[in-house]
Amino acid sequence: MSDISTEKYIEEARRGIANPVLQKALVGLQDRFGRGTAEAYRRLPEGPDLRIKAHEIREKAIANLDVLLEILADKIRANGGHLYFAETAQEAVDYGLAVARRNNVRLVVKGKSMVSEEIGLNPALEAAGIEVVETDLGEYIIQLAGEKPSHIIAPAVHKNRHDIADLFVQKLGIRRTTDPPELTHAARKALRAKFLAADMGTSGVNMACAETGHITTVSNEGNIRMATTMPRVHVAFMGMERIVARLDEYEIILRLLCRGAAAQTMGTYASYIGGPRRPGESDGPDEFHLVVIDNGRSRILADPQFREMLYCVRCAACLNVCPVYGKIGGHSYGFAYSGPVGAVVTPLLTGINRAKDLCQGETLCGACRDACSMNIDLPRMLLALREKLAYGDAAWQVKPASRAEGLAYRGWSWLIRNRRLYELGLKLAATGQKLLPHRKGMLRRLPPPVQGWTQSRDLHPLAEETFMERWRRTRKS
Amino acid sequence: MDTPDQINFFRRIRAALGHAPDVSRNASHLFAEGPSPEELQLLDRIRRRTAEGRQALLERLVEAGKPINLSVTALPDVAYASAAIVRLVGEKKPEWGDAKHIAAWRHPLIDRLNLPEALDRLQVPVHATAPIPIDAGSQFDQVERERQRAGIIASFIGVTSADFCLADTATLVMRNRPGQPRSAALVPSIHVAVIHLDQILSDMKELFALLRWDERYRSEGLSNYMSFISGPSKTADIEATMVHGAHGPREVHLFVVTE
Repeated sequence: MSDISTEKYIEEARRGIANPVLQKALVGLQDRFGRGTAEAYRRLPEGPDLRIKAHEIREKAIANLDVLLEILADKIRANGGHLYFAETAQEAVDYGLAVARRNNVRLVVKGKSMVSEEIGLNPALEAAGIEVVETDLGEYIIQLAGEKPSHIIAPAVHKNRHDIADLFVQKLGIRRTTDPPELTHAARKALRAKFLAADMGTSGVNMACAETGHITTVSNEGNIRMATTMPRVHVAFMGMERIVARLDEYEIILRLLCRGAAAQTMGTYASYIGGPRRPGESDGPDEFHLVVIDNGRSRILADPQFREMLYCVRCAACLNVCPVYGKIGGHSYGFAYSGPVGAVVTPLLTGINRAKDLCQGETLCGACRDACSMNIDLPRMLLALREKLAYGDAAWQVKPASRAEGLAYRGWSWLIRNRRLYELGLKLAATGQKLLPHRKGMLRRLPPPVQGWTQSRDLHPLAEETFMERWRRTRKS
Repeated sequence: MDTPDQINFFRRIRAALGHAPDVSRNASHLFAEGPSPEELQLLDRIRRRTAEGRQALLERLVEAGKPINLSVTALPDVAYASAAIVRLVGEKKPEWGDAKHIAAWRHPLIDRLNLPEALDRLQVPVHATAPIPIDAGSQFDQVERERQRAGIIASFIGVTSADFCLADTATLVMRNRPGQPRSAALVPSIHVAVIHLDQILSDMKELFALLRWDERYRSEGLSNYMSFISGPSKTADIEATMVHGAHGPREVHLFVVTE
């Protein structure tokens, strides 16, 4: 599996908030895509309710996942393609490596794919002495910089043109320019040479269709088309949930995917791949492999509380409206998936205790649910994760996240059921608070262990007279 | 063909869904035996489309092309299309070198453009992408594929047709076939597509209704590789600035022959 650093959420979030370049980029990103996507849904001939229909389509597909995957596999094999079903990330990577070795592959061009980030494909290929080149411009930039993507659709959103200019001078040896078209052209030139020299291309899968036996990939740049057309071998990696039954259903998913991802009515390129080059054709790969990946998804499938997460198509619309993502940026989430989708899917894939801060960090404001192209109720699942963290859960091997918190709540519950003690406590606190630092009638700092409450705001002090005291007094008079 | 990886994989999925792990399920109810009432209407609408209807679609296509930088030009016949291509070849500069080469599909409509003859005066070689004879032997196959690939890489303009064009999203729809390689619409810096007016459909719904239920298209299906192309390649990965020509063509010109 790839590097996971979900434990550093709080530390990384602080770093993100303190980064002025990131802050500016995130405001721009959310302004543009957040609003644009809502507008794009409104402009649908069927209106935003098409998302409800899409949710039904995905629900039906996931409930019949075994049948649909079997049909897809049969059709792709009948068209000369190869299928491999990987239970774990390691199995998926090993299969990709075996294909590369068998074909004496020295250079791989990679189309952007979040699932290959999830399984850690690049490090494994590189460890085997194979050069791997990211070809999506954003991914290429961060690969040259030795970093990780910070957004599903805009992976290099945290870098500005000056960062990229310095990087290209250093890595591509170009004359320094901060002009985006010139920078893009420098990458175009460098990557064209790679596309034409590569022995193998890899891609993800946006959505497969069982009825026709195709996978589809969508891009604006054309990099995925290049990576799946020019090299001799194409290996596509697909999360097992990315499938619908019929072409007419696929049509609805594709339209919503493009709107959710970039407020577009249609991405520039959508390719339907059903197998390798056929006899008589002059281009296309000699070999086509599809690797279908479980890697923890069957556990999500088995849990009715979380099955809905498998309806997700990773369009990233939720990132573009989330107030938390909008401040802390994608690196804080410490895994391939960031934002609200990451806050649910990362704990489920990597361990709920391990990624506990991700679901605790979200606000439950519901913006992600309204933006979701598949109308998924992310806040519901964030709450379900928090519940597991509060009480523990044997099936998911979750230990209660904080014993002290559990004790505190039990104490509180006991206290409020003992009226006299509670009122005595209030009196004591009302007196005790006078010792704390004040500013303009507000409490500036609470003592440990509750100091977090006043870290970024002042608190109202407790009233001199409690509600009950006032009630008694005014009723008498 | 059930490999061990597949058997275990499906056992896990069926168990997770609460079904017997070892029994393959039938789900014909998920698929359709015939077109839905909505699809029948779409098929009927396509069949009954009048000359005015086609003209209206063309106008929608021109409009949809504007925001995505796709230039759409209606021309009365193939001679005009041929002349328009000759003009482009003369005006545009190659991106990767000085020599002007172009690649062109082997396709009934493209063949009628007579490009080798039309470009003879400019001394621009035309790389034709002929189908590779299936029984020619693997060595010939290899050599011929290499030759065609080199021709397309050397070309600064690729001329193709398309199966359909969707007016609402300005999307060219192409199915890969012998003689009609997808790289001709991808590797050259400029992509020129020539189609006939009656190849324009309204949207994806019409396209999929045809591919699913019209006997003329159903047998070929989607082929092993079908592409949707909506305008030139683009990226906004550097500070959200839109740049055309990320990896694919920087320009796409669509000529619609209305003869």
